[in-house]
Amino acid sequence: MKLKTIHAVMFAAGVVVTALASAQAPAPAPASGIPPTWAQGRTADGMNPSLAPNPPGISAMPADEIPTSKLKVPAGFKIELWASGMPNGRSMTESPSGTVYVGTRFTGNVYAVVTKDGKREVKTIAKGLHRPNGVAFSNGSLYVAELSRIIRYDNIEQNLDNPPAPVVVFDALPKDEPHGWKFMTLSPDGKYLYFQIGTPANIVVPPYTHAAIVRLNLKTNILEYVATGVRNSVGMDFQKGTKELWFTNNGRDWADENLPNDTLNRLARPKGMNFGYPFCHQGDFLDPEFGKGRSCEEFDKPEMNLGAHVAALGMRFYNGNMFPAEYKGNIFIAEHGSWNKTKKSGYQVVRVVLDSKNKPVKLEPFVTGWLDGENFWGRPVDVQMLKDGSMLVSDDETGAIFRVSYGK
Amino acid sequence: MKLISSTKAILGVAFFTSLLVLNVASAAPPDAAAGKVKAQTCFACHGENGISVSPDIPNLAAQPPLSITYQLIQFRGQQRKGGAMEALAAGLSDQDMRDIAAYYSALPPPPAQSGNADLIAKGQQISSTQYCNSCHGPQLQGQKHIARLAGQSPEYLIAQLKNIRSGARVDMDGTMGSAARGLSDGDIEALAAYAASLK
Repeated sequence: MKLKTIHAVMFAAGVVVTALASAQAPAPAPASGIPPTWAQGRTADGMNPSLAPNPPGISAMPADEIPTSKLKVPAGFKIELWASGMPNGRSMTESPSGTVYVGTRFTGNVYAVVTKDGKREVKTIAKGLHRPNGVAFSNGSLYVAELSRIIRYDNIEQNLDNPPAPVVVFDALPKDEPHGWKFMTLSPDGKYLYFQIGTPANIVVPPYTHAAIVRLNLKTNILEYVATGVRNSVGMDFQKGTKELWFTNNGRDWADENLPNDTLNRLARPKGMNFGYPFCHQGDFLDPEFGKGRSCEEFDKPEMNLGAHVAALGMRFYNGNMFPAEYKGNIFIAEHGSWNKTKKSGYQVVRVVLDSKNKPVKLEPFVTGWLDGENFWGRPVDVQMLKDGSMLVSDDETGAIFRVSYGK
Repeated sequence: MKLISSTKAILGVAFFTSLLVLNVASAAPPDAAAGKVKAQTCFACHGENGISVSPDIPNLAAQPPLSITYQLIQFRGQQRKGGAMEALAAGLSDQDMRDIAAYYSALPPPPAQSGNADLIAKGQQISSTQYCNSCHGPQLQGQKHIARLAGQSPEYLIAQLKNIRSGARVDMDGTMGSAARGLSDGDIEALAAYAASLK
């Protein structure tokens, strides 16, 4: 009896040793490959199989070729080409002195747009970074979110022509390429950088490190999770007054041409909210595969559905004084535009109106015209309100930024 | 009468609209003839017919135009390294690249290459399990900005896949990096033989 137990223990130990030994050996090649991230979740009996992502914009269209006159805004508003020549220019932030910094996903550059005597000059202040999509400005420093680290350029405003080497702030983020690029914003108290860690696939039960919104304490350098079950948020902003974080979220692909919706969400509690990915999407759509045995009632719900596959990215509240009074407190969202849908949708900037109870009640197009039938010539990525009350819209297809103003 | 005139008006508007669209789209149309002139420097290695002179240099004939443009932009930006290509691309404008791409993409595709039948069959099998055709197309003929692999030099394909696997060549969005990660040297040779055998 005793001997048997010893044998059993030895056997178990042997198994452990074997397992450890194989863990040390180089990882064997997987028996079969996994589809590219974008095709993951595609089923033989599902949607139009010829759908594939749009080629990313990696060059800049010359200023005189950009068809700005095709862009339409509501009566009384005006849209103009504000700056160009920034291949793949995406997320934006404005410094107190009025410099607009622009991150990229594919070209590895960061741009600074300075206005002098009413004219814009574009400076490339960083090159060769790895997916420097996120930008935020604080205390004279530009923070850049690369794929797996946060870096900082100190005293950047005085050194735009000769930027200093960046200081590495935090470099322990996941290295997954899919949904690895970051949108980043500074908290109203200036203490935290908020950004997302997207899911590493289209639809998968992600590691607990992923499909989340996190914040980095700039003083202690501690990273903490503020929301989970968020597939990939590439736009967020704090609401003035409530100081609550609102964010967009991109829905999964290949489930249906018209489902699930991309969503607009609110962080009603500072920590612990779970928005459902991969089990439940848009608050009421159980995942065809991962939703089995689950209920949407387990999860927090979005504030508003924005449409399927529209690629809702950058969003900002309008707190300025230039637009008419009814625009105050509205949310503007840049829709990069669909690929996983036979008839294209998105490719516009939309306006979301909140009622007196702070609930979104109206969604309507605000800037349109990038889409011409089924062809697009530009793709809006981010919106940024300037101090003068006007709004910038970045477009990574043309490498340009447009400005929307009202009156005069 | 009224119907006819309004139809005419609509046709007129449609005509002018289409003119406008054409104008915008044709502000700088890719020009294959101009591309041929600009591509003179390329001929020494990539051939006037887009068939390269050496197995370690890629064939460019029938590559999707956006694929050529994208690679040239990445060479110019030093995001892709490839012998002399960074220096050669440094002086090219976007328009030069579009013209050169228009020239090479319009050439007849390279001939299918014969090879070891077992290796080709193995490559076809791996191509299917690795979902190569999701991006590169059913016959690996390329599409949009994705390279044509059919009829490509196997030596070139092997070198590129190994570089992507090791990280020496960084692909644009990480898709190829994850696709190549699990491939053995033998898998890569089989894939290259299969791609080269296609037309």
